[in-house]
Amino acid sequence: MSSPRESRLRTFGAKLRGFLSKYRHDDDFDDEIRQHLDLLTEKFVKQGMRREDAVVAARRQFGNTTLLQEDRRELQTLTSVEAWWLDLRYAVRTLWRNGAFAAVSIATLGLGIGAATAIFSVIDNVLLTPFPYKDARRIVFPRIHGAQQGQDDGRQGYTPTEVLEFAENNHVFDGTTAANEDLILYKHGGGTEQFEGADVTPGTFEFLGMPALHGRVLQPSDYEPGAPPVFVLRYKTWRERFNGDLSILNTTLVLNGTARTLVGIMPPRFGWYDAEVYIPEKLTRDATSGSFPSWFLVGRLKPGVSQQQAEADLTVIAKRLAKTYPQSYPAEFSVLVRQIGDTVIGRFEATLYTVLAAVGLLLLIACSNVANLMLARATTREKEFALRAALGAGRRRLVRLLMVESLVLAIAGAMLGIFVAWAGLKFLVATMPQDLIPTESVIELNAPVLAFMLCVAVLTALTFGLAPALQSSRRDLNDSLRDSGKGVSGGFRGRWLRDTVVVIEVALSLTLLIGAGLLMRSFVALREVNLGMRADHVFQTGLVLPAERYKTVQQVTNFIRPLLVRLKALPGVVDAAESSALPPSNYNETNVDIAGKTHLEEWPTTFQQVSEEYFRVLRIEFKQGRGFSEAEVNDARRVAVVNETFLRKYLSNEKPIGQRVRLASLETMPDPVHDGSFEIIGVVGDVTNRGLQTPIEPEVWLPYTINAAGPQVVIVHTSQDPGTMMHGVRQEVWNTDSGVALAFAGTLNDRINQRLYAGARFGFLLMTIFGCTGLILVMVGVYSLLAYSTTRKTHEIGIRMALGAKRGDVLGMVVRSGLRLVVVGIAIGVAISMALGRVIGTQLVGVSVYDPETLAATTLLLTLTAAIACWIPARRAARVDPVVALRYQ
Amino acid sequence: MDIKKSEVLQGTLDLMILKTLHALGPMHGFGVARRIEQVSRDILQLNEGTVYTSLLRLQQRGWITAEWGLSENNRKAKFYSITKRGQKQLEVETENWERISGVIGRVLRLEGER
Repeated sequence: MSSPRESRLRTFGAKLRGFLSKYRHDDDFDDEIRQHLDLLTEKFVKQGMRREDAVVAARRQFGNTTLLQEDRRELQTLTSVEAWWLDLRYAVRTLWRNGAFAAVSIATLGLGIGAATAIFSVIDNVLLTPFPYKDARRIVFPRIHGAQQGQDDGRQGYTPTEVLEFAENNHVFDGTTAANEDLILYKHGGGTEQFEGADVTPGTFEFLGMPALHGRVLQPSDYEPGAPPVFVLRYKTWRERFNGDLSILNTTLVLNGTARTLVGIMPPRFGWYDAEVYIPEKLTRDATSGSFPSWFLVGRLKPGVSQQQAEADLTVIAKRLAKTYPQSYPAEFSVLVRQIGDTVIGRFEATLYTVLAAVGLLLLIACSNVANLMLARATTREKEFALRAALGAGRRRLVRLLMVESLVLAIAGAMLGIFVAWAGLKFLVATMPQDLIPTESVIELNAPVLAFMLCVAVLTALTFGLAPALQSSRRDLNDSLRDSGKGVSGGFRGRWLRDTVVVIEVALSLTLLIGAGLLMRSFVALREVNLGMRADHVFQTGLVLPAERYKTVQQVTNFIRPLLVRLKALPGVVDAAESSALPPSNYNETNVDIAGKTHLEEWPTTFQQVSEEYFRVLRIEFKQGRGFSEAEVNDARRVAVVNETFLRKYLSNEKPIGQRVRLASLETMPDPVHDGSFEIIGVVGDVTNRGLQTPIEPEVWLPYTINAAGPQVVIVHTSQDPGTMMHGVRQEVWNTDSGVALAFAGTLNDRINQRLYAGARFGFLLMTIFGCTGLILVMVGVYSLLAYSTTRKTHEIGIRMALGAKRGDVLGMVVRSGLRLVVVGIAIGVAISMALGRVIGTQLVGVSVYDPETLAATTLLLTLTAAIACWIPARRAARVDPVVALRYQ
Repeated sequence: MDIKKSEVLQGTLDLMILKTLHALGPMHGFGVARRIEQVSRDILQLNEGTVYTSLLRLQQRGWITAEWGLSENNRKAKFYSITKRGQKQLEVETENWERISGVIGRVLRLEGER
């Protein structure tokens, strides 16, 4: 005997065959029927009927041939297309009439799918597959880690000799490559531009395994002595600096004074070493140990080799090198390796995974909301289905109708979800702080993830759309016709589950809202932090001076002085200054001594070399004394200005004017200053020099004319929009010396936004999006739960009202049953927020994790939202006419 | 409403066709219809078209097979014959039927005695 399942399988197979060979069979079947009719007619004629009568009689006895054809088709084909089409039209019509239900379901699904996909796409592109290079997960870089050093410290740069030693003698890599940062000045007709260049060793492109987009990559012959000089360009640079002009391929450009041929343009995702221009360089062992360890070395671990094995192997080589070059190595050290990208991603990882968890929960909640909604709706339709069944609709037919309805919902939700994901991703990418992710990672919609999310959502809709159908179709018809559901609310288990979902929803959403609130307040606080300077109407740019022509102070000042005069004469310019750092950060550091003070510990300070206009241009306030005079700057007098932090920390608030401060590193840096002692002539208010979250460092300002070392920056105070200054400033720079290039040109406000606010803004926007999504989901969740339970309780409410309960009582009863859950959720949410406080605390400025205002505001917002969600079904319940409700039975 | 009723009817017709094919060997649809008419002695009013639906269903379950051949009066006809699986199924169904009709018979007698 065949089991039912087996027989069903066979039937399916036969149907499939029938479906595939439909037309051939149709003819056969027609033949068979015609023959049967003929035979039947013959039989009747033999029995003595007239032929015409016999034909009619035969047809009558045979039955309706059309119906038979339809039966057969139903049996033979997988689905009946027309019936599906009818169901589809009917489903769309029904959903259209129940606009609110449809809209809420679709929005919930769309939000869930969209948010989850967008966030997961970011995580996948940033954390899981950030690099497009061959076997990128096995590419590691070694660092020399001294025993005394911090966990993340250690030298990562190597001399050519070291690179060759590691590359040739290791047993753990199946390939290595090294790169050296190389500032490239590109001289053309109008002036000079700067590129971030990288010198790369032979085999680099083979190692990375990426072909060129146009032209070719560097090949072994390019490294031969006497080979024509060539270079390869990064895609982004090609688009931005050369307008994507393909005709520049195979032309010759003057880079750092050498005419080089552009042989290749790399694909968009290629961004090795974050360089714009790649230049071949073959390493040779130095005769002396004197060269600077500037080469960044990476290797690809052989399959199966662990990081520990690599570290052990490389340490052996390094110990040998340490014997030859003892001054380059700490006394106690080991070599540690780390995957590329770890350092970039590390800072971001925790945030992203937190967000991922939140998103997963949101999707889950969205799905359970949809399930609740469908359940609520199915309850109200029990009668309709009973009627359909009574009128002869088969169970399969009912299920199909519901399935089509669920599918329409799911597909609409999915489409909305795709849109939300697309828009959300665009938004995320636009607000994401640039330096947080590797430049190679291109953030795009992740198709497999989207497919997964869509499946989850469609399955949810189908499952929960069908469950009630199966249930109601299995039910005794008379029961359902007589009454629509049990007198009291549904089974205990189901209710418990639904209640839990709502509580979790509320708790999670409140946690997110509190986080968003705190980050928002923190962001506002950040914006209010006094920078100590005025950032409006300021344009600034770094200047790259060709080193060979700018060795002495005299050479530098001979360029800067006329440049400042020209800049001041530009229309729209109020004032212009020279500086050795790009505000708002300054990383020039030195240790200081103060005459007459002895101290054991080091006294570090940042310092900056500026022209006399500097304090005016940035509108920095003097607290004591005065700024530099023109004469002092021109004569490179030994005078200094310090900030208040310096005064407080190192001068113990004594009278500062006239004190002498010695900057140790000035005496040892390139182009050393003979005597690094300066007389303090003024004190300014603190100016942000290390970002907003870290305290301000002590700072010393000196005349820029004291030496030629350090970066050159010009800062321009404008009366017009500083964003329009680029062209004019560049022209004046090139008019002064066409060999000088601009770097990091832009307005001070943009730079501040990018460096100081972008991270905070991103965090707060992210949390706000989640918080709001959560809020909407809570509303839907509470609403659908109450809508479901009140429909179930219609009869109970009727009895209560018949027994004298007032509308207000009913209203209160329903709202209370909803708010009870909300209160529990809020309690849990506040508890979670408190527990998570430490996580978010590090990102907060000027606001406490336990900020009562934020807590109160978000809780209130959530309660109000939930109350509205309670109110709608409650009002409906209160409107119940007791007579109708009782007749319901 | 009459989901179950029609299911019973379908099953009955299937059973009759199976039995007919089992007893008389391969035959075409017209023959099956004649045989059932003959046996039921016109008690069972049957749309003969439904025989074909039933034949198709039985075919899909693998209980009978069909083959084109020549009929007694030299016309092309589709001959149906019962398969091994069909014979087994027939045994099971027959047993079921006898049990159920027995039960129903007893129940009906009970009703009569009251």
